[in-house]
Amino acid sequence: MELVFKNFQFLLTGAYYTLLLTVVPMFFGLIIGIIVAIARLKGNVLVRNLAKGYVSLIRGTPILVQIFIVYYGLPDFGITLGPLTAAFISLSINVGAYLSETFRGAILSVPNGQSEAAFSLGLTPWQTMRRVVLPQAARVAIPPMGNTFIGMLKETSLVSIVTVTELLRSAQLLVAQYYVAMPFFVAIALMYWVMSVSFSFILNRIEARLAKAY
Amino acid sequence: MSVKLQKFVKATLLLTVLSLVLAACGSKTAQDGANSLEKIKKAGTIRIGLMGTYAPYNFLNEKHEVDGFDADVAKEVAKRLGVKVEFITGEFSGLIEGLQKDKYDALVSQVTITDDRKKTMDFSTPYVKNAVNVIVKSDNTAIKSIDDFKGKKIGVGLGTNDEKYLRDVVMPKVGNFNIATYNDVITSLKDLNVGRIDATINNVFAIKPLIEKNHFTVKAVGEPIKEDFAGIAIRKNNPELLDAINKALDEMKTDGTFKEIFHKWFDVDPNI
Repeated sequence: MELVFKNFQFLLTGAYYTLLLTVVPMFFGLIIGIIVAIARLKGNVLVRNLAKGYVSLIRGTPILVQIFIVYYGLPDFGITLGPLTAAFISLSINVGAYLSETFRGAILSVPNGQSEAAFSLGLTPWQTMRRVVLPQAARVAIPPMGNTFIGMLKETSLVSIVTVTELLRSAQLLVAQYYVAMPFFVAIALMYWVMSVSFSFILNRIEARLAKAY
Repeated sequence: MSVKLQKFVKATLLLTVLSLVLAACGSKTAQDGANSLEKIKKAGTIRIGLMGTYAPYNFLNEKHEVDGFDADVAKEVAKRLGVKVEFITGEFSGLIEGLQKDKYDALVSQVTITDDRKKTMDFSTPYVKNAVNVIVKSDNTAIKSIDDFKGKKIGVGLGTNDEKYLRDVVMPKVGNFNIATYNDVITSLKDLNVGRIDATINNVFAIKPLIEKNHFTVKAVGEPIKEDFAGIAIRKNNPELLDAINKALDEMKTDGTFKEIFHKWFDVDPNI
Protein backbone atom coordinates (compact mmCIF):
# COMPACT_ATOMS: atom_id res chain seq x y z
CA MET A 1 0.00 0.00 0.00
CA GLU A 2 2.90 2.40 0.62
CA LEU A 3 3.63 2.07 -3.09
CA VAL A 4 0.32 3.82 -3.70
CA PHE A 5 1.16 6.66 -1.32
CA LYS A 6 4.58 7.02 -2.84
CA ASN A 7 3.04 7.43 -6.27
CA PHE A 8 -0.08 9.27 -5.18
CA GLN A 9 0.98 12.44 -6.94
CA PHE A 10 1.33 10.48 -10.17
CA LEU A 11 -2.12 8.92 -9.80
CA LEU A 12 -3.63 12.30 -8.98
CA THR A 13 -2.24 13.70 -12.21
CA GLY A 14 -3.97 10.83 -13.97
CA ALA A 15 -7.19 11.59 -12.10
CA TYR A 16 -6.91 15.24 -13.13
CA TYR A 17 -6.80 14.23 -16.79
CA THR A 18 -9.69 11.85 -16.32
CA LEU A 19 -11.72 14.67 -14.80
CA LEU A 20 -10.71 17.07 -17.55
CA LEU A 21 -11.62 14.49 -20.18
CA THR A 22 -15.05 14.13 -18.61
CA VAL A 23 -15.91 17.76 -17.97
CA VAL A 24 -14.78 19.31 -21.26
CA PRO A 25 -16.55 16.79 -23.55
CA MET A 26 -19.60 17.02 -21.29
CA PHE A 27 -19.82 20.76 -21.88
CA PHE A 28 -19.48 20.45 -25.65
CA GLY A 29 -21.57 17.30 -25.68
CA LEU A 30 -24.42 19.22 -24.02
CA ILE A 31 -24.34 21.84 -26.76
CA ILE A 32 -24.12 19.22 -29.52
CA GLY A 33 -26.85 17.19 -27.85
CA ILE A 34 -29.33 20.07 -27.64
CA ILE A 35 -28.68 21.17 -31.22
CA VAL A 36 -29.02 17.64 -32.59
CA ALA A 37 -32.16 16.94 -30.56
CA ILE A 38 -33.86 20.09 -31.83
CA ALA A 39 -32.64 19.35 -35.37
CA ARG A 40 -34.24 15.93 -35.21
CA LEU A 41 -37.55 17.29 -33.94
CA LYS A 42 -37.92 20.56 -35.78
CA GLY A 43 -35.58 20.37 -38.77
CA ASN A 44 -36.56 19.84 -42.39
CA VAL A 45 -36.16 16.42 -43.98
CA LEU A 46 -32.48 16.87 -44.84
CA VAL A 47 -31.44 18.23 -41.43
CA ARG A 48 -33.48 15.59 -39.68
CA ASN A 49 -31.87 12.75 -41.61
CA LEU A 50 -28.38 14.18 -41.13
CA ALA A 51 -28.92 14.29 -37.40
CA LYS A 52 -30.40 10.80 -37.47
CA GLY A 53 -27.40 9.46 -39.39
CA TYR A 54 -24.95 11.05 -37.01
CA VAL A 55 -26.61 9.57 -33.94
CA SER A 56 -26.89 6.17 -35.54
CA LEU A 57 -23.25 6.12 -36.64
CA ILE A 58 -21.85 7.22 -33.30
CA ARG A 59 -24.06 4.99 -31.18
CA GLY A 60 -23.47 2.05 -33.47
CA THR A 61 -19.66 2.00 -33.33
CA PRO A 62 -17.31 1.44 -30.37
CA ILE A 63 -15.92 4.64 -28.88
CA LEU A 64 -12.43 3.14 -29.03
CA VAL A 65 -12.73 2.92 -32.80
CA GLN A 66 -13.92 6.54 -32.98
CA ILE A 67 -10.96 7.78 -30.94
CA PHE A 68 -8.58 5.73 -33.04
CA ILE A 69 -9.96 7.12 -36.30
CA VAL A 70 -9.85 10.74 -35.12
CA TYR A 71 -6.28 10.43 -33.89
CA TYR A 72 -4.60 8.01 -36.29
CA GLY A 73 -6.87 8.32 -39.32
CA LEU A 74 -7.16 12.07 -39.79
CA PRO A 75 -3.40 12.65 -40.33
CA ASP A 76 -3.82 10.86 -43.67
CA PHE A 77 -6.04 13.81 -44.66
CA GLY A 78 -3.58 16.37 -43.35
CA ILE A 79 -5.28 16.96 -39.99
CA THR A 80 -2.87 16.18 -37.17
CA LEU A 81 -4.34 16.72 -33.73
CA GLY A 82 -2.56 16.54 -30.42
CA PRO A 83 -3.49 13.66 -28.12
CA LEU A 84 -5.63 15.77 -25.78
CA THR A 85 -7.37 17.66 -28.58
CA ALA A 86 -8.19 14.42 -30.37
CA ALA A 87 -9.55 12.96 -27.15
CA PHE A 88 -11.70 16.03 -26.46
CA ILE A 89 -13.11 16.05 -29.97
CA SER A 90 -13.92 12.36 -30.20
CA LEU A 91 -15.42 12.21 -26.72
CA SER A 92 -17.53 15.33 -27.32
CA ILE A 93 -18.87 13.93 -30.57
CA ASN A 94 -19.61 10.66 -28.84
CA VAL A 95 -21.32 11.99 -25.76
CA GLY A 96 -23.24 14.52 -27.89
CA ALA A 97 -24.96 11.68 -29.76
CA TYR A 98 -26.05 9.95 -26.57
CA LEU A 99 -27.23 13.17 -24.94
CA SER A 100 -29.21 14.16 -28.04
CA GLU A 101 -31.36 11.07 -27.55
CA THR A 102 -31.83 11.93 -23.89
CA PHE A 103 -32.91 15.46 -24.78
CA ARG A 104 -35.15 14.32 -27.60
CA GLY A 105 -37.01 12.06 -25.22
CA ALA A 106 -37.18 14.81 -22.62
CA ILE A 107 -38.53 17.37 -25.09
CA LEU A 108 -41.14 14.89 -26.31
CA SER A 109 -42.20 14.28 -22.73
CA VAL A 110 -43.40 17.87 -22.41
CA PRO A 111 -47.13 17.76 -23.27
CA ASN A 112 -48.15 19.27 -26.59
CA GLY A 113 -50.66 21.50 -24.82
CA GLN A 114 -47.76 23.51 -23.41
CA SER A 115 -46.57 24.54 -26.87
CA GLU A 116 -50.12 25.18 -28.04
CA ALA A 117 -50.80 27.39 -25.06
CA ALA A 118 -47.57 29.29 -25.72
CA PHE A 119 -48.43 29.79 -29.39
CA SER A 120 -51.91 31.07 -28.44
CA LEU A 121 -50.22 33.70 -26.26
CA GLY A 122 -48.34 34.84 -29.38
CA LEU A 123 -44.89 33.39 -28.54
CA THR A 124 -42.68 32.55 -31.51
CA PRO A 125 -41.59 28.90 -31.96
CA TRP A 126 -38.10 29.80 -30.71
CA GLN A 127 -39.48 31.55 -27.61
CA THR A 128 -41.74 28.61 -26.96
CA MET A 129 -38.78 26.24 -27.13
CA ARG A 130 -36.59 28.39 -24.90
CA ARG A 131 -39.06 29.57 -22.28
CA VAL A 132 -41.66 26.86 -22.10
CA VAL A 133 -40.49 23.50 -23.43
CA LEU A 134 -36.75 23.34 -22.59
CA PRO A 135 -37.06 24.32 -18.91
CA GLN A 136 -39.57 21.54 -18.39
CA ALA A 137 -37.57 19.07 -20.46
CA ALA A 138 -34.41 19.82 -18.48
CA ARG A 139 -35.92 18.34 -15.33
CA VAL A 140 -36.79 15.11 -17.09
CA ALA A 141 -33.36 14.92 -18.71
CA ILE A 142 -31.30 15.13 -15.53
CA PRO A 143 -31.39 11.48 -14.35
CA PRO A 144 -30.49 9.92 -17.72
CA MET A 145 -27.87 12.65 -18.18
CA GLY A 146 -26.29 11.58 -14.91
CA ASN A 147 -26.14 8.08 -16.33
CA THR A 148 -24.35 9.30 -19.44
CA PHE A 149 -21.86 11.38 -17.44
CA ILE A 150 -20.89 8.60 -15.11
CA GLY A 151 -20.53 6.28 -18.08
CA MET A 152 -18.34 8.93 -19.69
CA LEU A 153 -16.10 9.16 -16.65
CA LYS A 154 -15.18 5.51 -17.10
CA GLU A 155 -14.99 5.61 -20.87
CA THR A 156 -12.21 8.19 -20.60
CA SER A 157 -9.91 5.29 -19.80
CA LEU A 158 -10.03 4.39 -23.49
CA VAL A 159 -8.15 7.52 -24.53
CA SER A 160 -4.92 5.97 -23.32
CA ILE A 161 -4.75 4.52 -26.82
CA VAL A 162 -3.80 7.99 -28.04
CA THR A 163 -1.08 8.34 -25.40
CA VAL A 164 -3.05 10.43 -22.94
CA THR A 165 -2.01 9.26 -19.50
CA GLU A 166 -5.32 9.30 -17.64
CA LEU A 167 -6.09 7.49 -14.41
CA LEU A 168 -6.21 3.90 -15.65
CA ARG A 169 -3.10 4.36 -17.77
CA SER A 170 -1.15 5.84 -14.89
CA ALA A 171 -2.00 2.74 -12.89
CA GLN A 172 -0.90 0.51 -15.76
CA LEU A 173 2.37 2.41 -15.96
CA LEU A 174 2.98 1.87 -12.27
CA VAL A 175 2.12 -1.81 -12.58
CA ALA A 176 4.69 -2.11 -15.36
CA GLN A 177 7.22 -0.40 -13.12
CA TYR A 178 6.72 -2.31 -9.86
CA TYR A 179 5.31 -5.66 -11.04
CA VAL A 180 2.45 -5.46 -8.53
CA ALA A 181 -1.05 -4.71 -9.71
CA MET A 182 -3.65 -5.00 -6.99
CA PRO A 183 -2.87 -1.96 -4.78
CA PHE A 184 -2.84 0.38 -7.77
CA PHE A 185 -6.08 -0.94 -9.19
CA VAL A 186 -7.82 -0.77 -5.84
CA ALA A 187 -6.57 2.81 -5.46
CA ILE A 188 -7.86 3.94 -8.83
CA ALA A 189 -11.15 2.12 -8.31
CA LEU A 190 -11.65 4.26 -5.21
CA MET A 191 -10.63 7.39 -7.10
CA TYR A 192 -13.09 6.69 -9.90
CA TRP A 193 -15.78 6.05 -7.35
CA VAL A 194 -15.13 9.29 -5.47
CA MET A 195 -15.35 11.18 -8.75
CA SER A 196 -18.62 9.59 -9.81
CA VAL A 197 -20.14 10.14 -6.38
CA SER A 198 -19.26 13.85 -6.60
CA PHE A 199 -20.88 14.01 -10.03
CA SER A 200 -24.05 12.40 -8.72
CA PHE A 201 -24.09 14.83 -5.82
CA ILE A 202 -23.81 17.87 -8.11
CA LEU A 203 -26.52 16.54 -10.43
CA ASN A 204 -28.85 15.87 -7.52
CA ARG A 205 -28.40 19.46 -6.38
CA ILE A 206 -29.23 20.72 -9.85
CA GLU A 207 -32.29 18.50 -9.98
CA ALA A 208 -33.50 19.79 -6.64
CA ARG A 209 -32.99 23.38 -7.77
CA LEU A 210 -34.95 22.81 -10.99
CA ALA A 211 -37.79 21.17 -9.08
CA LYS A 212 -38.28 24.31 -6.96
CA ALA A 213 -40.18 26.06 -9.73
CA TYR A 214 -43.10 23.70 -9.15
CA MET B 1 2.25 -37.47 -8.38
CA SER B 2 1.39 -40.58 -10.40
CA VAL B 3 3.14 -39.21 -13.44
CA LYS B 4 6.28 -38.74 -11.41
CA LEU B 5 5.94 -42.24 -10.09
CA GLN B 6 5.41 -43.63 -13.58
CA LYS B 7 8.44 -41.77 -14.84
CA PHE B 8 10.44 -43.03 -11.93
CA VAL B 9 9.36 -46.62 -12.49
CA LYS B 10 10.02 -46.27 -16.20
CA ALA B 11 13.42 -44.79 -15.60
CA THR B 12 14.35 -47.42 -13.04
CA LEU B 13 13.24 -50.22 -15.33
CA LEU B 14 15.16 -48.76 -18.19
CA LEU B 15 18.25 -48.26 -16.10
CA THR B 16 18.08 -51.83 -14.88
CA VAL B 17 17.65 -53.19 -18.38
CA LEU B 18 20.38 -50.95 -19.69
CA SER B 19 22.87 -51.84 -16.99
CA LEU B 20 22.10 -55.53 -17.36
CA VAL B 21 22.20 -55.80 -21.13
CA LEU B 22 24.32 -52.91 -22.31
CA ALA B 23 27.19 -52.68 -19.91
CA ALA B 24 29.15 -50.64 -22.43
CA CYS B 25 26.51 -47.96 -22.74
CA GLY B 26 27.47 -45.62 -19.93
CA SER B 27 26.91 -42.16 -21.35
CA LYS B 28 23.27 -42.40 -22.36
CA THR B 29 20.79 -40.36 -20.36
CA ALA B 30 17.60 -42.21 -19.72
CA GLN B 31 15.46 -39.10 -19.53
CA ASP B 32 13.06 -39.48 -22.40
CA GLY B 33 13.52 -43.16 -22.94
CA ALA B 34 15.31 -42.74 -26.24
CA ASN B 35 17.15 -39.57 -27.10
CA SER B 36 15.29 -36.78 -28.86
CA LEU B 37 17.21 -37.02 -32.11
CA GLU B 38 16.42 -40.72 -32.53
CA LYS B 39 12.78 -40.09 -31.69
CA ILE B 40 12.54 -37.30 -34.24
CA LYS B 41 14.19 -39.38 -36.95
CA LYS B 42 11.90 -42.28 -36.15
CA ALA B 43 8.81 -40.10 -36.36
CA GLY B 44 10.10 -38.50 -39.54
CA THR B 45 9.02 -35.04 -38.39
CA ILE B 46 10.38 -32.42 -36.03
CA ARG B 47 7.76 -30.45 -34.09
CA ILE B 48 8.68 -26.78 -34.05
CA GLY B 49 6.95 -24.39 -31.68
CA LEU B 50 6.60 -20.72 -32.65
CA MET B 51 4.31 -17.79 -32.03
CA GLY B 52 3.03 -17.23 -35.54
CA THR B 53 2.19 -13.62 -34.72
CA TYR B 54 5.57 -11.96 -34.99
CA ALA B 55 6.24 -10.77 -38.54
CA PRO B 56 8.70 -10.94 -40.20
CA TYR B 57 10.11 -13.70 -37.99
CA ASN B 58 7.14 -16.02 -37.89
CA PHE B 59 3.62 -15.31 -39.09
CA LEU B 60 0.81 -16.80 -41.13
CA ASN B 61 0.98 -15.85 -44.81
CA GLU B 62 -1.94 -15.45 -47.24
CA LYS B 63 -2.23 -19.21 -47.55
CA HIS B 64 -2.43 -19.43 -43.76
CA GLU B 65 0.85 -21.30 -43.66
CA VAL B 66 3.54 -20.48 -41.15
CA ASP B 67 6.08 -18.30 -42.90
CA GLY B 68 8.91 -15.96 -42.05
CA PHE B 69 12.57 -15.89 -41.11
CA ASP B 70 12.20 -18.35 -38.22
CA ALA B 71 10.10 -20.69 -40.35
CA ASP B 72 12.70 -20.71 -43.13
CA VAL B 73 15.52 -21.41 -40.69
CA ALA B 74 13.52 -24.24 -39.12
CA LYS B 75 12.70 -25.76 -42.52
CA GLU B 76 16.36 -25.74 -43.54
CA VAL B 77 17.49 -27.32 -40.27
CA ALA B 78 14.82 -30.01 -40.61
CA LYS B 79 15.92 -30.69 -44.17
CA ARG B 80 19.47 -31.26 -43.00
CA LEU B 81 18.27 -33.57 -40.24
CA GLY B 82 16.45 -35.51 -42.95
CA VAL B 83 12.98 -34.99 -41.48
CA LYS B 84 9.81 -33.07 -42.30
CA VAL B 85 8.84 -30.05 -40.25
CA GLU B 86 5.60 -29.59 -38.36
CA PHE B 87 4.84 -26.09 -37.10
CA ILE B 88 2.76 -25.65 -33.98
CA THR B 89 1.83 -22.07 -33.08
CA GLY B 90 1.10 -20.76 -29.61
CA GLU B 91 1.51 -17.92 -27.14
CA PHE B 92 5.12 -17.28 -26.21
CA SER B 93 4.70 -18.14 -22.54
CA GLY B 94 2.97 -21.36 -23.52
CA LEU B 95 5.80 -22.28 -25.88
CA ILE B 96 8.37 -22.52 -23.12
CA GLU B 97 5.99 -24.56 -21.00
CA GLY B 98 5.13 -26.79 -23.96
CA LEU B 99 8.75 -27.49 -24.74
CA GLN B 100 9.27 -28.91 -21.24
CA LYS B 101 6.07 -30.93 -21.57
CA ASP B 102 7.30 -32.52 -24.83
CA LYS B 103 4.68 -30.78 -26.97
CA TYR B 104 7.47 -29.48 -29.21
CA ASP B 105 10.90 -30.81 -30.06
CA ALA B 106 12.37 -27.34 -30.52
CA LEU B 107 11.38 -23.67 -30.39
CA VAL B 108 12.35 -21.42 -33.28
CA SER B 109 10.55 -18.25 -32.26
CA GLN B 110 13.06 -15.52 -31.48
CA VAL B 111 13.79 -17.06 -28.09
CA THR B 112 16.45 -14.70 -26.74
CA ILE B 113 19.35 -16.53 -25.16
CA THR B 114 19.55 -15.52 -21.49
CA ASP B 115 21.32 -17.03 -18.50
CA ASP B 116 17.99 -17.56 -16.78
CA ARG B 117 16.60 -19.54 -19.67
CA LYS B 118 19.79 -21.57 -20.00
CA LYS B 119 18.91 -23.10 -16.64
CA THR B 120 15.78 -24.71 -18.03
CA MET B 121 16.64 -25.32 -21.68
CA ASP B 122 19.53 -25.70 -24.07
CA PHE B 123 20.22 -23.30 -26.91
CA SER B 124 21.81 -23.85 -30.30
CA THR B 125 24.44 -21.43 -31.52
CA PRO B 126 22.72 -18.07 -32.15
CA TYR B 127 21.04 -17.81 -35.55
CA VAL B 128 20.15 -14.10 -35.50
CA LYS B 129 21.24 -10.93 -33.72
CA ASN B 130 18.49 -8.45 -32.97
CA ALA B 131 19.54 -4.85 -32.52
CA VAL B 132 17.41 -2.24 -30.79
CA ASN B 133 18.00 1.16 -32.35
CA VAL B 134 16.81 4.72 -32.01
CA ILE B 135 14.25 5.34 -34.78
CA VAL B 136 13.51 8.89 -35.96
CA LYS B 137 11.80 10.64 -38.86
CA SER B 138 13.91 10.49 -42.02
CA ASP B 139 14.55 14.24 -42.08
CA ASN B 140 15.45 14.46 -38.39
CA THR B 141 19.03 15.56 -37.77
CA ALA B 142 18.63 16.63 -34.13
CA ILE B 143 18.54 13.15 -32.63
CA LYS B 144 21.47 10.88 -33.34
CA SER B 145 21.44 8.73 -30.22
CA ILE B 146 19.76 8.35 -26.82
CA ASP B 147 21.98 11.18 -25.56
CA ASP B 148 19.82 13.64 -27.51
CA PHE B 149 16.56 12.61 -25.82
CA LYS B 150 16.53 15.39 -23.21
CA GLY B 151 13.29 17.40 -23.37
CA LYS B 152 12.01 15.37 -26.32
CA LYS B 153 8.96 13.13 -26.59
CA ILE B 154 9.85 9.47 -26.95
CA GLY B 155 7.39 6.70 -27.79
CA VAL B 156 7.65 3.16 -26.43
CA GLY B 157 5.50 0.09 -25.86
CA LEU B 158 3.82 0.00 -22.45
CA GLY B 159 5.34 -2.53 -20.07
CA THR B 160 8.11 -3.56 -22.45
CA ASN B 161 11.76 -3.99 -21.57
CA ASP B 162 12.39 -0.93 -23.69
CA GLU B 163 10.12 1.20 -21.51
CA LYS B 164 11.92 0.02 -18.38
CA TYR B 165 15.21 0.76 -20.03
CA LEU B 166 14.15 4.32 -20.94
CA ARG B 167 12.93 5.03 -17.41
CA ASP B 168 15.65 3.36 -15.38
CA VAL B 169 18.73 3.78 -17.54
CA VAL B 170 18.36 6.56 -20.10
CA MET B 171 16.45 9.14 -18.06
CA PRO B 172 18.92 9.32 -15.15
CA LYS B 173 21.73 9.51 -17.69
CA VAL B 174 20.59 12.17 -20.17
CA GLY B 175 18.02 14.19 -18.22
CA ASN B 176 14.22 14.34 -18.29
CA PHE B 177 12.14 13.64 -21.37
CA ASN B 178 8.51 12.75 -22.03
CA ILE B 179 7.57 9.13 -22.51
CA ALA B 180 4.47 8.32 -24.55
CA THR B 181 3.30 4.73 -24.09
CA TYR B 182 1.67 2.67 -26.85
CA ASN B 183 -0.19 -0.62 -26.88
CA ASP B 184 1.37 -1.74 -30.13
CA VAL B 185 4.23 -0.96 -32.43
CA ILE B 186 2.23 0.24 -35.41
CA THR B 187 0.63 3.15 -33.56
CA SER B 188 3.97 4.32 -32.19
CA LEU B 189 5.45 4.32 -35.69
CA LYS B 190 2.42 6.14 -37.06
CA ASP B 191 2.84 8.88 -34.46
CA LEU B 192 6.54 9.12 -35.23
CA ASN B 193 5.73 9.40 -38.91
CA VAL B 194 3.19 12.16 -38.27
CA GLY B 195 5.60 13.94 -35.97
CA ARG B 196 3.69 13.67 -32.71
CA ILE B 197 6.70 12.04 -31.10
CA ASP B 198 10.36 12.77 -31.76
CA ALA B 199 11.78 9.26 -31.56
CA THR B 200 11.09 5.69 -30.55
CA ILE B 201 13.33 2.73 -29.84
CA ASN B 202 12.68 -0.62 -31.43
CA ASN B 203 14.04 -3.75 -33.04
CA VAL B 204 14.97 -2.77 -36.58
CA PHE B 205 14.16 -6.14 -38.16
CA ALA B 206 10.78 -6.39 -36.47
CA ILE B 207 9.51 -3.02 -37.68
CA LYS B 208 10.78 -3.37 -41.23
CA PRO B 209 7.58 -4.84 -42.72
CA LEU B 210 5.46 -2.25 -40.89
CA ILE B 211 7.52 0.58 -42.34
CA GLU B 212 7.33 -0.85 -45.84
CA LYS B 213 3.60 -1.61 -45.80
CA ASN B 214 2.65 1.81 -44.44
CA HIS B 215 5.26 3.81 -46.36
CA PHE B 216 6.54 5.46 -43.20
CA THR B 217 9.47 7.81 -43.73
CA VAL B 218 11.56 6.90 -40.71
CA LYS B 219 15.14 5.74 -40.21
CA ALA B 220 17.32 4.07 -37.61
CA VAL B 221 20.17 6.18 -36.28
CA GLY B 222 23.36 5.66 -34.31
CA GLU B 223 24.78 2.56 -32.76
CA PRO B 224 22.45 -0.18 -31.49
CA ILE B 225 21.31 0.42 -27.90
CA LYS B 226 21.43 -3.25 -27.12
CA GLU B 227 21.81 -6.51 -28.98
CA ASP B 228 20.04 -9.76 -28.25
CA PHE B 229 20.88 -13.14 -29.67
CA ALA B 230 18.21 -15.69 -30.47
CA GLY B 231 18.84 -19.42 -30.65
CA ILE B 232 16.93 -22.61 -31.26
CA ALA B 233 15.74 -23.85 -27.88
CA ILE B 234 15.47 -27.54 -27.00
CA ARG B 235 14.93 -29.58 -23.83
CA LYS B 236 17.97 -30.06 -21.64
CA ASN B 237 20.15 -33.17 -21.81
CA ASN B 238 19.76 -33.89 -25.51
CA PRO B 239 23.36 -33.46 -26.70
CA GLU B 240 22.76 -35.49 -29.88
CA LEU B 241 19.93 -33.24 -31.04
CA LEU B 242 21.83 -30.10 -30.07
CA ASP B 243 24.89 -31.22 -32.03
CA ALA B 244 22.78 -32.10 -35.05
CA ILE B 245 21.07 -28.69 -35.00
CA ASN B 246 24.35 -26.84 -34.56
CA LYS B 247 25.88 -28.82 -37.41
CA ALA B 248 22.95 -27.92 -39.64
CA LEU B 249 23.25 -24.23 -38.73
CA ASP B 250 27.00 -24.29 -39.39
CA GLU B 251 26.46 -25.83 -42.82
CA MET B 252 23.85 -23.21 -43.63
CA LYS B 253 26.24 -20.45 -42.65
CA THR B 254 29.03 -21.76 -44.82
CA ASP B 255 27.09 -22.82 -47.92
CA GLY B 256 25.21 -19.56 -48.41
CA THR B 257 21.74 -20.78 -47.47
CA PHE B 258 21.80 -18.56 -44.41
CA LYS B 259 22.71 -15.54 -46.48
CA GLU B 260 19.77 -16.22 -48.77
CA ILE B 261 17.34 -16.38 -45.88
CA PHE B 262 18.70 -13.15 -44.40
CA HIS B 263 18.42 -11.34 -47.71
CA LYS B 264 14.93 -12.67 -48.31
CA TRP B 265 13.59 -11.27 -45.04
CA PHE B 266 15.89 -8.42 -43.97
CA ASP B 267 17.79 -7.34 -47.12
CA VAL B 268 21.08 -7.54 -45.24
CA ASP B 269 23.98 -9.95 -44.90
CA PRO B 270 23.85 -12.32 -41.92
CA ASN B 271 24.86 -10.44 -38.78
CA ILE B 272 26.08 -13.46 -36.92
